Amino acid sequence: MLSYNFKYELKMLLRSRWIQLLSIILVLLFGFATYNGSQKVEKRKKDIAAAQKEVKDDDVKMLKLLDSVERGLEVSASSWTIPTSPMAVGNYHPRVAAMEPQPLAFLATGQADLFTHYVKPKVSGDDFALNFTEMTSPVQLLFGSFDLAFVFVYLLPLLIIAFSYNILSSEKESGSLRLLAAQPIGLRLWLLQKMGLRFFWLAVIVVLALTIAFLAIGMNPFGQFQSFVGLLGLILAYMLFWFAIAFLVNLMVGSSAKNAVALLGLWVVFVLLVPSVLNQLGNTLYPMPSRTLMINEMRILKAEATKKQDEILDNFLRDHPEYAINDSTQRRGFYHRYMASQKLLKEELGPVVNTYEEQIQRQQDWIGALKWISPAIIIQESLNKMAGTSTQDYESYRKQVVAFAGEWREHFMPFLYNNVEFSQEDYPNLPNFNYVHQSQDQLLSISFALLISLGLFGLGIMISQNWKEVGILNQG
Amino acid sequence: MISKTFLKETKELFREGRVRISLFIVLLLLGMAVWISALQYKNVNEQYAAAKTTERAIWDNQGEKNPHSAAHYGTYAFKPKYPLSLVDQGVDKYAGTSIFLEAHNRNEAQFSAAADQTGLARFGDLTPDFILLFIIPLLIILLGYNSFTKEREMGTLTLLKSQGITRWKWLLGKWTALFTPIFVITTVLFFVAGLVLGNLNDFGVFNWSALLTMMLVYLGYYIIFINIVLLISSLAKKSGISLVISLSVWIITCLAAPKAASNIAESKHPYPTRQEFAANVLQDKEDGLDGHNPWSKEAKILEAQVLKEYGVDSLHQLPFNFDAYRMQKGEEHEAEVYLKHYNHLKNQYSNQSKVYRSLAFISPFLPTRFLSMAIANTDYTTQWDFADAAETYRVATQKFLNDNFAENSSYGDWSYQADASVWKDLPVFEYDPPNLDTILGNNASNLSLLGIWLLASFAFLSFTTKTV
Amino acid sequence: MINTNNLTKQYGEHVALDQLNLNIQQGEIYCLLGANGAGKTTTINLLLGFVQPTSGSAFINQLNVQENPKATKQFLAYIPENLMLYPNLTALENLDYFSGIAGKKLSQSALKEFLEESGLQSEAINRRISTFSKGMRQKVGIAIALAKDAKVLLLDEPTSGLDPKASNEFGLLLQNLRKKSVATLMATHDLFRAKEIGTHIGIMKDGRLKQEFVVEDISLNQLEDVYLDTMNYKEVTV
Repeated sequence: MLSYNFKYELKMLLRSRWIQLLSIILVLLFGFATYNGSQKVEKRKKDIAAAQKEVKDDDVKMLKLLDSVERGLEVSASSWTIPTSPMAVGNYHPRVAAMEPQPLAFLATGQADLFTHYVKPKVSGDDFALNFTEMTSPVQLLFGSFDLAFVFVYLLPLLIIAFSYNILSSEKESGSLRLLAAQPIGLRLWLLQKMGLRFFWLAVIVVLALTIAFLAIGMNPFGQFQSFVGLLGLILAYMLFWFAIAFLVNLMVGSSAKNAVALLGLWVVFVLLVPSVLNQLGNTLYPMPSRTLMINEMRILKAEATKKQDEILDNFLRDHPEYAINDSTQRRGFYHRYMASQKLLKEELGPVVNTYEEQIQRQQDWIGALKWISPAIIIQESLNKMAGTSTQDYESYRKQVVAFAGEWREHFMPFLYNNVEFSQEDYPNLPNFNYVHQSQDQLLSISFALLISLGLFGLGIMISQNWKEVGILNQG
Repeated sequence: MISKTFLKETKELFREGRVRISLFIVLLLLGMAVWISALQYKNVNEQYAAAKTTERAIWDNQGEKNPHSAAHYGTYAFKPKYPLSLVDQGVDKYAGTSIFLEAHNRNEAQFSAAADQTGLARFGDLTPDFILLFIIPLLIILLGYNSFTKEREMGTLTLLKSQGITRWKWLLGKWTALFTPIFVITTVLFFVAGLVLGNLNDFGVFNWSALLTMMLVYLGYYIIFINIVLLISSLAKKSGISLVISLSVWIITCLAAPKAASNIAESKHPYPTRQEFAANVLQDKEDGLDGHNPWSKEAKILEAQVLKEYGVDSLHQLPFNFDAYRMQKGEEHEAEVYLKHYNHLKNQYSNQSKVYRSLAFISPFLPTRFLSMAIANTDYTTQWDFADAAETYRVATQKFLNDNFAENSSYGDWSYQADASVWKDLPVFEYDPPNLDTILGNNASNLSLLGIWLLASFAFLSFTTKTV
Repeated sequence: MINTNNLTKQYGEHVALDQLNLNIQQGEIYCLLGANGAGKTTTINLLLGFVQPTSGSAFINQLNVQENPKATKQFLAYIPENLMLYPNLTALENLDYFSGIAGKKLSQSALKEFLEESGLQSEAINRRISTFSKGMRQKVGIAIALAKDAKVLLLDEPTSGLDPKASNEFGLLLQNLRKKSVATLMATHDLFRAKEIGTHIGIMKDGRLKQEFVVEDISLNQLEDVYLDTMNYKEVTV
């Protein structure tokens, strides 16, 4: 039966122009989405490169200036910007802490439109006040991006639904089902084969269309072979899930229209409702403390710190006797007090800032525990992770930047408290930021989606064990 | 004839299980959405009120201080939530809610809710606007896709024709049957929203006319969808085809077009990155007067100018503290630089808006989306308006502080401390969102786009049903 | 070949078929007459195994239909009232598909022969079914039966909606199959065709087989009288 189904299913799909139509739609969708994604990545790379170049150019000027000062020449810059002052270097010559895009970043915009990809932490200012959000029109954030993840997660299931909602019901409605049922075959197996064949052909089209789209924008899909295979595995598992749903709905046959409505309802549930309800529940169960109230708290602490600046500095120096010993001048200025207060503030605000991270971690755990309810979530998250644009990636970036900001600040502390001038020789020792991407394995997600799909197929077969063929075979 | 058709269609609809179930689900979702939004609304506004009072107290109780220190110490402007955000959350989730107001710098609104949420937030929220914009059109498709095709499939069409029906009356009957349940759902939702808001009267000014206008916008949107669905149903040969085409229209209109529009708008009229923007601002700032730097060329020019104006030859002879005066002039220059750069941003955004409007011809969703957010005061324009008001307040605050500094101290006297009671004299920051007339005026183009869609869809419908 | 033994089907209270005993041999064409709802289609559904009997049993080629659903279908061919095939496939392809999934692998020339044998014009063999009339589709149905080498043929209202010429041609085809000793069960309203084509006739009412005849024993007029009598319609149509 399989060979005949195979031969004629293809013939019928070709003659009804389904395959041609699907191929064109998919190539167009993938093409447009890949183009959009790669444009965003290009812009991101360009912005980072521009920022790096600016720092480089700026460094040349700084070194020249240092050279002039060291040779005792008159310089025209404002006194407090002259880089012999360590605080001037720390504030006016910050390094770029950039998050370079991952090779597959064009796959999913994820949180990339929300967060910035490079910041320049300075010695003054607060870590938590570092603005990690990007300057974007919120309308764009609201509408989201037409990226490959959108095509996979939202549109592909709809194509599958359109492709498979009436496999059994159309036979019933046209009347050919009775003729089929009079043949010595199992209808369940026949449906499974039909489904399988449609899955097979759609999979072939998806793989080809994706390869074409990648090649068209100058990406070599085989250069990143492992990731490409991982991506395909993910998409195929998700497609299989939707075919399994379609199989179930087909088995519980109503009319074609009823099937379409039921499948569409399921699409709304899995793709739109479950994620938003989970998100809302997560927010309700683990609410983010108010940022506005955090500002209040921070302001009060700061006001107190400013009043006690001298005391704070004394305490600080008592904790760090090395500074008092090495410095012969014992000169104390604004920055000595400021940095000591900042350090204290950071320690005091630490728990407040941590609550945000803890809370978002709890929300993340909550989603992690319940995401299996909707494979759409699993796939979106996995794609974001592949693209390196997931919430976790940005959080990891944020942590790395904050750590780097600390390193940057600490680097200048000995200069400041020892009242040592910054010189050309110190330039090569300036710390640099390197973003480390924590790669995540997609195998778990793929096997998860596969497991759900197989479970659904199993369920379908179990249900159809006591299939009331009466309902299927009698017209009406 | 019209009423007969209407009655028959309505009976048919309500006797079908799928219709009853889907109506029930939509109402349930709406109820949940309104409830969740009302809670959120109350919560946010309580936090807003608390933050506002606390912040003002912090400002008022600074104690004796140099006015310029107070300027650096700064204060915060908080954005409240407006009553109609209960119906449409708009871009609120993605827009910052607090702006730090300090000397020399215009800061961006910070701390958007979305930045504090997981990636799941990007799927969207179960809010009334989600149901109004996405789910109800889907319901219309569900109710109406087979309105004409079923008559053809059951063969009742020929029977009807033989009874000598007037086509437009027949059409109007079907149209009314589809419109009535949608009208009822929408009215109930807006009425309930109005009641809920009436009971939460602690915050914001809620007016029924804005709510009513919003309802009319949505009804217009639904009428367009009804027309499209009926049009497709009258042209399609089979119910299945009609359903698939209607759904494709829905996908393109509600899902694909906004996203595509966002991508096109961004690639055609990009915003600078935050760092780029800051660097550009810094460069322009450096080209002008720096209030803190008395040695720069610009400072010297200003000095000469003021001396000449007052006919004195030393800064000490001026009747005010020139340091503070220079500080204020520097502040004005910086404010101008910011104005220029923010105008560039606004310009980019208005260009982006043009892209959205030009794509409205494939998607009535877009003008509806923008109108609804605008009326709810949750759109980007309101965000701009708020940021501008905060900036005006910041500039005024700097002038207030610099003037105090200039009038009460003499040149070179940086040790001047203003009295602890001075801070209370600074007016409180108040922001009122644009009123309904202004909003509708600003959105005239969106209104006319919606109008064009309405007329065109009616025209097509009446034209094509002649051939049924 | 076709046997039923006290075959009964109840839907709740309603008795659709009441203790039917049929015995149709090879080379016989048994015509079941009766009004709508008399139980004709139920009988066919039971013989096809589409419906489970409440009691009694049905046999095809001595095999219990309920116990051997797949095996019995090997021997039978079925043409529904409104035979629909795949509109986008040609006659030949439809035949290839249906005989293929039934487990018969046949060469193209063999398939063509079956189509010709069933009376389909040779120009139509490679045309898509979407252009076919009901009569032409039924010829393909017969070809499927032929290709399958079916021993049993189940027909549900095969002549309804056919013009007299097509109807006549169909009758001839059945005669042809009869010579191949196929046992045919045909549910129909058409008394005239039943008399013309059939070898045996049964009249059903309210799920019961009321009368049985051998066709040679009865004239068309007598048949009509008996039929109307059975239906209790005689008084009305005086």
